[in-house]
Order: sequence, then C-alpha cells, then structure tokens
Amino acid sequence: MSWPWVALDPTLIVVAAGTSAVGAVSGALGCFAYLRRQGLVGDVVSHSALLGVVGAFVLTHAVTGSASRSLAVLVPGALLAGTAALMLARSVSIRTRLKDDASLGVMLSIFFGGGLFLLRWVQRQSPPIPGHTGLEDYIFGMAAAMTRADLWMILALGGCATVALLLLWKELKVFTFDPDFSRSLGFPARLLDSLTMALLVMGVVIGIQTVGVILMIALLVTPAAAARQWTSRLSTMVLLAATFGAGAGAGGALMSASEAGLPTGPVVVLLATATFVVSLLLAPRRGVIARAQSRRAMRDLPPPAAGRTS
Amino acid sequence: MIERVEQPALEVEGLTVTYGREPALWNADLRLGQGALAAVVGPNGAGKSTLLKAALGVVPRVSGRVRVLGVDPARKRRLVAYVPQRSSVDWDFPTSVLDVVTMGTYGRLGWFRRPGRSERAAAMQALEQMEMADLAGRQIAELSGGQQQRVFLARALVQDAEVYFMDEPFAGVDAVTEQSIASLMGRLAQHGKTILSVHHDLATVPRYFEHAVLLNRAVQAVGTVKEVFHRSNLDRLYGGRVPADVPELASV
Repeated sequence: MSWPWVALDPTLIVVAAGTSAVGAVSGALGCFAYLRRQGLVGDVVSHSALLGVVGAFVLTHAVTGSASRSLAVLVPGALLAGTAALMLARSVSIRTRLKDDASLGVMLSIFFGGGLFLLRWVQRQSPPIPGHTGLEDYIFGMAAAMTRADLWMILALGGCATVALLLLWKELKVFTFDPDFSRSLGFPARLLDSLTMALLVMGVVIGIQTVGVILMIALLVTPAAAARQWTSRLSTMVLLAATFGAGAGAGGALMSASEAGLPTGPVVVLLATATFVVSLLLAPRRGVIARAQSRRAMRDLPPPAAGRTS
Repeated sequence: MIERVEQPALEVEGLTVTYGREPALWNADLRLGQGALAAVVGPNGAGKSTLLKAALGVVPRVSGRVRVLGVDPARKRRLVAYVPQRSSVDWDFPTSVLDVVTMGTYGRLGWFRRPGRSERAAAMQALEQMEMADLAGRQIAELSGGQQQRVFLARALVQDAEVYFMDEPFAGVDAVTEQSIASLMGRLAQHGKTILSVHHDLATVPRYFEHAVLLNRAVQAVGTVKEVFHRSNLDRLYGGRVPADVPELASV
C-alpha cells in the first residue's frame, strides 16, 4: 500500500483525527493526575465507565425502544458511573478506616465486575438487542467504529477541557503543587479538587471507545511520565504530553487500519509506551543514560580538599 | 473625642478543630499586637500546625473566631501570608524558583488573571531579599533544604501581608540559612508585621522570638518570652521532659 491511501479514505481520517484528539486531551489532563499521584483514580474511572456505558445502552433501549451506541448516549453514562465510583470510594475512606487505595480498588472491582455482568446479560437477551455486538469493544477499544458524530463529541469535550485548563491554569498549578497554600490564598480546595476530578473523568471518558476501559490508564499516565523526563516546566510538560498522546493516537489508528486485525487500543498504548521507554533512557538530565554518565563523572572527580571535609 | 483603641494584629478566640473524633485544637485563645514575633511551642500532636491552618482557614474549624486587624482574614486574604512546612510539598514538581515565588501574588490576582511583569518583578525582589536572586531560574528539584525554605519565605514576602504564619521555618536548615531567616523575621517585626511561627528548638526560642505561645491542644500561656517561657511552664507543657540544658531558662 502506498502513502496516498490515507487521504483517500475519509473514514480513516475521522478515526485518526479522533484517536489523536483523544491522545492529546488525555495526555494533557493526565499530567495533573500524574503530578497529584492520582493514576489509580483514573484507572477507577475508566474501569467503572464500562458499567455506565452498558447501563446507558440498556436504558436507551428500554426507554426509546432502539438502543444507541453513539458517544452522545454512552458518554453521559460513563461520566455518571465514573463519578459515582469516585464519590463512593471517597465516602468509604472518610467513614471507615480503609485507606484511599483500598477503597478505590474495591470500587473499581465492583463497577467493572458489574459492567461485565450487565454486558453478558445484554448479550444473552432474546430477541437480541440490536447494536449490542459492538459493546464488548469498550473493554479493549475499537477506534474503527468511530463515526463523524463521535469525533465531534470528542472534539467538543476535549475543547471544553482545554478551555478550562487555560482559564484556570494558575489556580490548578498552585493547587496541584501546594494545596494548603492555595487554600490559604482563598481558592476553595473542594471546588478545585472537584474540577481536577471532573477534568480527569472527562479525559478518561472520551478515550474509552478508542483504547478501551482496561488500557485507558496507560494513555493518561504514560505520556505525562514521558514528558516529565524532558522538561521541568509544567506548561511544556502538558504540551509535550499532549503531543506524545496525539502521536500515539494517530499512529495507532493508522497502523491498525493498514494491518488487518491489529487492535487499535493496544497499538496506541504500545506506541505511547515506546515513547516513554525512549524518554526514560535518553532524556537529558533525568534519563537513565544521562544519570549514569553524571554519576561516572562524579566518581572521576578528585576527592574534596581536606580542609572542607569535616 | 474618640479614643483610639489599640487594634490587636491577630486575635483568635475559642478556636476548636477536630480530626475525626479527636480534638486537635481545643478552645484556643490568643492575642498578638502589631510587630509581635511569636513562637508556637508544644509537644508533638499539640496542634501547632493545626492552629496555623485553622487560623488561615486551610482546615475547617468546629468553632471559633479569627480576626486580623479586626477583619476576618477569610474576607480579606491579603492580610495573611503562609509558609507551610517545607516537607508538605513535592519538590520534584516541574517548576522554577521564580515561578513558585510568583505564586505569592496569586491571591491578589484573584481568579483567572495571570501573573505579568509586575508580579514577576515583585517575586524577583523577594528573592533578592532572601539572597536567592541568582537561583531564580533554577528548577526547584535542584534546591537544597535551606534554599527550599528561602523560596517559601520569599513567596510569603511577596504576599506582603500583615500577619505571617510560618510552620517550622527553621526545620532542617543550615546555620547560615537559620541566621538569614531570623534576621528576616526581625526586619518584618520592625516594620510592624506580626509573625506566628511554629518552632521546635526550645533552646533558640529566647534568641529568635520575643513572644511565646505555649500550646498543648489548648493555649496554656501567651506572652513575652520573659513572662511565659519558664521552666515550670515548659515542664507542665511537655509533661516534665524538658531537657535541663535548655539555656536562658534557669535565670527565672
């Protein structure tokens, strides 16, 4: 196959644009999750989203008689389930002696298990609910199913998240770095915490169709971790993570389209991981190789003068 | 003719905070005049940090009232500045020294407005006061403990407040930094600023502070160091475990 086939296939353009938008948004938002050490929170949201997605599908079928698999229906379900899981985990942590990670882990299992259970129930309905065959793709991701409407949905949500990030950049930055200090300045912590959570949930939810609920966490954390290797500026880190995410997204879409049978989600995640490994090894100053070199340079230095040691 | 009443710089009344069911701070009362330089001392778990955080509204209070120059600081945030414990943040955060110090201007900027040239200039000036100007562009991950502490103090200076709440500014810094922090506090007090600082090293309280707040859940004594920083008070405060070599106590 030669290069121009990309330009000739409008479906593929939609898919590639969608996956790269997903990668960019989740890469950028993932930086804040990474810096606040809330990777697990993202994982809970994405796993829980399965229950929301299948639930929304069942509900639309029950109410309207025709089930829909469009993002406009499934995203609100995923948002609801992800938020509910987080709120339940938080209230468990507050009311019991359970640590945060334990209560988050419990909610992840309950919601994901519930999602799998409901999915199997949907698949066993007779007569079969039309459209149910694509639902299991949410587990591992299926970018090829992306429609033009889905792309608009992704762009709209991603645009909202970007605007929020730009408007509240300073507030999010000080809150992420030093929450107590930001509170002492009069920025309400609960509001900023909810906002960062909402952004995280948004970043997860628009990506689950592409990457799937299981691997979504990789698209949040990996570009951020890779970007952190190259820069010590938050703005550069966010831009770089967005770029890495977009690259992995577009690359994954194109590769899985060119080679039949390659699943998009895993390919996107593997590409992001490759970026991460390269960053981990090669980044100046923070990279493994640079650090080994500077250690060697330290060893070769003459010992400090006798007068300065104590 | 209206008589001019001396306004206390900081007034705390009946401040109570609980974490879960445990009271962390119980009915704390405290009054400091302008230019007071006060150390908060007390055993571990006495609620020293909690006193600061509750006065600033960083942790919610069950009851109590806080006034700075007669005004609720929650309504006028510019009256207060905060130096949190150095260890309370992740110093591997991707940002520069100047950036952190500029955060001291975020309060007066309010929502949405970004810091500009004048905010960065103010931050530079504060860094110069802390003798850190040459490190303005440095990544905060590369700072020593003493430099981190100076960055936090510079950030509080930028806030240009009336009352400064400091949580262990002397913790884990070298002798030179300790001296420069002490002289900064002295200068602030001379300019009529009030300082309430959690302090662990009893031996240096008389050297660096003029006032002392003895705290163990409740405020046991407030006053000048001469008035309240007695062996009998301290033994009661710490339950009789104050080492005998604390200097400058024996005289009383």
